[in-house]
Amino acid sequence: MSKVVKEEKYVTVPMNLSFEGIEPKGLKAVRGILLELWYLSRIEFKNIRDSWVWSVLMISLFPIITISFLNFFMVNPTDQTITRLIIGTMVFPIILMGINTFAIELSMAKHSGHFVFYSSLPISKVNFILSKLISGFIMTLPSVIIMTFIGQFMFGITLHFSWIVLPIMALCIGCCVSLGMLIGFLSPNHQLTNLGSQSFMMLVSFLTPIMIPMEQLPKVLQMASYGIPTTYVAESFHILFTTGWESAVGINIAILLGFFLICLTLVLLKMDWRVEN
Amino acid sequence: MSDIVYEIKNIYKSYKKGKVVANNNICLDVHHGEILGLLGPNGAGKSTLVKQMVGQLKPSKGIISLYGLDVTKNAKNVSRLVGYYSQEPHSMASLSVEEAIYFTGRLRGMDLLDAKKRTKYWIDRLELGDVYKKTLKQISGGQRRLVGLGTTMVGEQPVLIFDEPTNELDPLKRKLVWDIIRERNRDEGATIILVTHNTFEAEHIVDRVGVINSGKLLAVGSVGELKKKVDQRLKIDLSISIGNREKAQKILIAWGYPVETIGENQLRLSVTREESSKYLQQIAEYMADLCCEEYKVVPPSLEDVYVHFGGKEEKVI
Repeated sequence: MSKVVKEEKYVTVPMNLSFEGIEPKGLKAVRGILLELWYLSRIEFKNIRDSWVWSVLMISLFPIITISFLNFFMVNPTDQTITRLIIGTMVFPIILMGINTFAIELSMAKHSGHFVFYSSLPISKVNFILSKLISGFIMTLPSVIIMTFIGQFMFGITLHFSWIVLPIMALCIGCCVSLGMLIGFLSPNHQLTNLGSQSFMMLVSFLTPIMIPMEQLPKVLQMASYGIPTTYVAESFHILFTTGWESAVGINIAILLGFFLICLTLVLLKMDWRVEN
Repeated sequence: MSDIVYEIKNIYKSYKKGKVVANNNICLDVHHGEILGLLGPNGAGKSTLVKQMVGQLKPSKGIISLYGLDVTKNAKNVSRLVGYYSQEPHSMASLSVEEAIYFTGRLRGMDLLDAKKRTKYWIDRLELGDVYKKTLKQISGGQRRLVGLGTTMVGEQPVLIFDEPTNELDPLKRKLVWDIIRERNRDEGATIILVTHNTFEAEHIVDRVGVINSGKLLAVGSVGELKKKVDQRLKIDLSISIGNREKAQKILIAWGYPVETIGENQLRLSVTREESSKYLQQIAEYMADLCCEEYKVVPPSLEDVYVHFGGKEEKVI
């Protein structure tokens, strides 16, 4: 790389340049979109490559501590309660990574001017968001798996695994990462993002039916829980791990898909990353 | 056929409900194949203007069009034609130098071979051959700036906007950057807009200059045209031997010369072109008495234009 190569001259810029035909069309456009997503995802992988192991460990730490505390605290819990606790600690990393980490990361990126570079490139916002979702999935999945095993080992029970768990998890990560991105992008500074996302995380983790049954919550919180995607994830996991597939899981997946599409649309509409007012 | 690349019409940009005005009725055309320098003090509104030119900031009033198309409404397409080098830190800190340039090329739509070839070219041209495998986190701030230049250049856009491209660079690297910018303009016909404080270096490469202060475009024209609008007096700078400045100053005052101190051992005379030969002759004759080690004649420069228009609000376009 040290030898200077002779520059191959590019065609001299014509005077009458226009925007006509500048946007790729048809198959070329599809290929361009896929390539764009591939390179943006690679950038995301390279960003997380150094800190991946540490992030997984740190994200797993909070649910491990919580489940250990509950294990020491509770005397003779029922299988139903144990299943709920394990499911709760499986959902924790998704909330922690998706909402908290992504909100702070995005907020810091925005306020330190990192979007300026991306917005100077002809890339689509959808691909940018999708690359973040893929990165969120990769960062969260190991912690969820770790919690499944640790929970079962700690309480000495066996949960019935179902492959349906994976798309539900993907949808939940999608919703949480989108929400995190939205909080991060709209927040005036990253200190506020930190406070806001942490409060939201604690609220979702402990005051919605993730670890405790819906009927044990006060009416107000029960109502509020229907507006939070993790409620449907915890409910679906509970059904799948205890009795297997039921139509209620299908309904929950449809609701989660709806949540995901709403979150994604909100991010697309509100994340005005290229043109600031 | 019009040669206008950018047409900036009555641009206002204000913040805090109009309390802070960053750009105030700016009208400017950027022509095909020119290098336009934007000069002005810190906070003058230069960066705000270029951010609007690349579609990253919406003007409060007015229209900016690129090749006839409204920039604000076509921000994504603008990024296909305009390379923008900002003052913000590079976003690809975890990537190697090579990856950062290559990935940017690919994201700008270059095909694989072309992107590889141009990445290699820019690594060599920017003298980054020794660090091309290192991540941006591992290299110096100056080298990161050069990588930023590489990512701006790769993709070969017909219009390039540089916001303070030589910040944090040593003199050799600054020269390299100016050479590269000049080459892109001269050899490939790229239209270049340059925001800089470095008037000495910019003077040699810009075709036209726009001076902005307090959000207003105070003057625009070629360097020669603008120089004619500033004080036409020549400056004769004298270097006096250590400890003799006051003595030399007294002699010059006794001769009736308009003298001012510009340094520990430096004096300056501001004289008209007509008077200059008489003054120079006398200085040459009495160099020993003045304890003068050397003297030089400094014609009006872009720095004078900057100083002259930088503090005034008169429109001389």
